[in-house]
Amino acid sequence: MDAPQPFSDREVAFLEALVAEGVDFLIVGLAAAALQGAPAVTQDVDLWFRNLEDPALTRALRRAGAAYIPPTASTPPLFAGAGTELFDIVVHMHGLEPFEKEAGQTVRIRLGRVELPVLPLARIIVSKKATGRPKDLTILPALEDTLRALRHAPSAG
Amino acid sequence: MTIAVKGTVSEAVDATTLALARRELARAVCDAEPEASFENVWHALILLEASPLDRLNRSLIRGRTAAIQR
Repeated sequence: MDAPQPFSDREVAFLEALVAEGVDFLIVGLAAAALQGAPAVTQDVDLWFRNLEDPALTRALRRAGAAYIPPTASTPPLFAGAGTELFDIVVHMHGLEPFEKEAGQTVRIRLGRVELPVLPLARIIVSKKATGRPKDLTILPALEDTLRALRHAPSAG
Repeated sequence: MTIAVKGTVSEAVDATTLALARRELARAVCDAEPEASFENVWHALILLEASPLDRLNRSLIRGRTAAIQR
């Protein structure tokens, strides 16, 4: 018997709700890199939102049976409820242009029944370089080599 | 002695043919981009043969396993 997958119908349904309600968001970070073929490991899926106070986000969360927990002085904004446990909320991306500009050059990747906006691998690399954190710098060669593979073997993706 | 074999001979031949083609592609990428690591390109090409959902799940499963082992 196959083991249950961490990213299953519940998580896809949450993303479908975001798309259906017209929420402006991007999948970013190493989950975005993995979606584009990078041999990267991660524990969560980072979502970058244009506006966390967007009523469309509230509607999408309600549709998915989930809720938004605003940040406090010592905690980041969070989601709670069905299908949201894997997702982390990102409010700022180091080294990148504002959301509106980055959102204009996304790649679209199909998961389940929807096509999702994903930050391109080249932009993920820019962001990882900008943070300068050791764990981000460690993964850079794998990300850059995936970009090289995509450049010379685009049909592979 | 009994050897348990998963899959068929034709599947093994197909997998070998695919791997050889992938190896040539990885080598071509590394020839064009000398700073590239063959291993990274090889693994990226394997992942690019999978669906995006499968790629993401592999990443998450390995990430969780690594976290448990820390």
